[in-house]
Amino acid sequence: MSVLEAVIRSVAVVAAFLVLPLLVGQTEHKFMAHMQGRLGPMYAGGWHGWAQLIADAAKFVQKEDVIPAAADRGVFRIAPAVALIPYMAGLAFIPIGDGIVGADVPASAFAVLAALGVGILGHLMGGWASANKYSMIGAMRGAAQLVAYELPMVLAVASVALAAGTLSLSGIVEQWQPWWLLWQLPGAIVFFIAALAEINRTPFDMPIADSEIVFGAFTEYTGLRFAFFLLAEYAGIVVMALLFTVLYLGGWAGPLAASLGVVWTLLKAWIIAAIIVWMRVSWPRLREDQLHRLAWVWLIPIALFQLALTAVVVVMTR
Amino acid sequence: MSQGPFAFVAGLAGGLRTTARTMRRTAITQEYPDVLPDLPPRSRGVIALVEENCTSCMLCARECPDWCIYIDSHKETIPATTPGGRDRQRNVLDRFAIDFALCMYCGICIEACPFDALHWSPVFELAETDIRDLLHERDRLAKWAQTIPPPQPLDPAAPDPAELAASRKPARPARPAADGAAAAERPARPERPERPARAERPDRPPRAERPAGEERPERPARPPRVEPAERSMPLPRPQTDDHGAEAPRAAAPEAPAAPEAPAAPEAAAAPEAPATAGEDATTQVLPTVASDPVATDGPGAQA
Amino acid sequence: MTTRDIVFICFAVLAAGCALLAVTTKQVVHAALWLVATLGTIAGCYFVLGAELVGLVQLLIYVGAVIILVIFALMLTRAPIGKHDDLATPGWQRAIAAVVGASLTALIAAVVLPVVTDAAVDIPASTNKGVSAAIFGVWVWPFELLSVLLLSALIGAFIVSQVVRAAGRPTGGEGR
Repeated sequence: MSVLEAVIRSVAVVAAFLVLPLLVGQTEHKFMAHMQGRLGPMYAGGWHGWAQLIADAAKFVQKEDVIPAAADRGVFRIAPAVALIPYMAGLAFIPIGDGIVGADVPASAFAVLAALGVGILGHLMGGWASANKYSMIGAMRGAAQLVAYELPMVLAVASVALAAGTLSLSGIVEQWQPWWLLWQLPGAIVFFIAALAEINRTPFDMPIADSEIVFGAFTEYTGLRFAFFLLAEYAGIVVMALLFTVLYLGGWAGPLAASLGVVWTLLKAWIIAAIIVWMRVSWPRLREDQLHRLAWVWLIPIALFQLALTAVVVVMTR
Repeated sequence: MSQGPFAFVAGLAGGLRTTARTMRRTAITQEYPDVLPDLPPRSRGVIALVEENCTSCMLCARECPDWCIYIDSHKETIPATTPGGRDRQRNVLDRFAIDFALCMYCGICIEACPFDALHWSPVFELAETDIRDLLHERDRLAKWAQTIPPPQPLDPAAPDPAELAASRKPARPARPAADGAAAAERPARPERPERPARAERPDRPPRAERPAGEERPERPARPPRVEPAERSMPLPRPQTDDHGAEAPRAAAPEAPAAPEAPAAPEAAAAPEAPATAGEDATTQVLPTVASDPVATDGPGAQA
Repeated sequence: MTTRDIVFICFAVLAAGCALLAVTTKQVVHAALWLVATLGTIAGCYFVLGAELVGLVQLLIYVGAVIILVIFALMLTRAPIGKHDDLATPGWQRAIAAVVGASLTALIAAVVLPVVTDAAVDIPASTNKGVSAAIFGVWVWPFELLSVLLLSALIGAFIVSQVVRAAGRPTGGEGR
């Protein structure tokens, strides 16, 4: 890999990291509005408010960066970066087409999971350093949630990796067959629920439950740092949707995959993201104890069952 | 979860279905600055002034709960049009302003205006960048007057307006008797100023004179009630407070013409009063006093 | 000296510095955060050495889970912001820690130094297959023993919490 290629790939990943979350955000704006009988943003940019999120970013840049007097300033400052960068790293490992990937590593499935697990550290740091009880509660909820849902998620991914016989996401897509949709269905459901919980989306948004604890770990944040946290949240949706597409929906598999592969991947991921938005509009938030009950009583047994099923089928067919 | 382990799935699907159905419908958002809203009839936007109707009577300014109406006027003399006639005086409006920073849009001024000079206008875009610019003078208020919509037709099921209903009512047969009663009680009147509850009110005599000019707005609402006999009375009784004023009118005819008895509570109380007091004058007075909340302890002390 | 060596040295120095800060800082949560940095840079060392899977496991398990739990536990103790001067450990603990650390260093040095002196060492390529074959082949018994140890710890924790609940002490949790 030459230096030029590395630079191009890095720039491409950063561009995707900045653009795709905005697309998801705009989708959320519009879907949410129409699902509630509204129109959503209509002004910014002229056509149906397409530039609303860019305008929001411009607004956030102008805002004052307030740091609470009692806060731990250093930790408070770097927390948004710690929350944001793991998602960027995760995005770099996910292929969106045959050979189109930021960094093609042998164990990319594992690498994405490892990167995503670090993201919560930013919430924890921000929540603790804000010197605010709501921030603290939000951070603790987020950490407990992550620890609870990381396990079923890793087990579900392990099942797919076992089925494909590789830890590489590109390899998994190459091995993917349409009948895996049924074979890996329990794992897919577990992965989807765990992914929702990891990125704090409704119905698992207790860490930022605005009606209970203001805005969780982000309560004290303003301006650009707050925007970074929000960007991390939407980047989380992008990463999870792409990962789900690649693991369970065959990535770029589809008609004319050779030329339209990237379009297929992005379209599938966009549909997943739209479903995530749809759930946010439709469903209430779970209670904290229900969240943990769901993880430990339902998801982990189902994930273990899926792993066993996959192992049995793999052993029988090979 | 109560109807089975998977009952929640139906609930979740129901939620998704509801939002999906809403998404297929047209949004109800009104794109306001681009598309003006379709306002309901009788919308209360701002208060508009029809200058021609204003007599500078100051009623609106006085009724305003937060004193946001400013009126300046002066008197002009109109020379007599006929030789030997009397010169007339007329109020000329110099300034009429409403401070919409103070106004709370209660509409009391509009209710109070006797000549329909104030109206609700549906215009609602009166935002300003400086709070002092919210003090709107008569030119702006008059411009809004052109936006006053024509009155809505009455609902077919609505009762007749008070004026119509009153004029259609058959004349009361008891009225001549009331006249007689009023004449009969006249000798007893001089007693009244001696009663402490009444004598304590210094504002009574001026009030008795004021209605000639200022309580006129209420007159058209109840023309049949204004009896020539009452008008000629020099005593303040009919000009008490609004609710106090109604009581004697309902009760006064009762005392002489008892058999008719239209179940008013005061009417029920009135026949008992003469039994205790045994005097015509008190029967006339007591219902008046009993319905007047300020003076209730007066008759209690007496009886 | 290759680029790889330079990157490795950078990571190693960073790891050592972070570790030093982790044990010297007077703020509890900062110590935990420096520990995160230490473990992360050690994962970087693994990557540079080509042990990709080990590095990822280091990130996923240590940075992603263990440290999260540590910080979580710290937060439960209402770890204050700012310096915490009564955090000083007593002298005998420092002495024991020094002894343990020194002996561990000596042990590793005894293993590593002969390798370093040897001019040409052939590092076997650490593939995912190789690591799994090692874990589930040569080292399967220690691996299983470790999982049994963890399981017994889990059961122990469960029993402790159940015994406390049975003893009638109010436990905060809502009864279902």
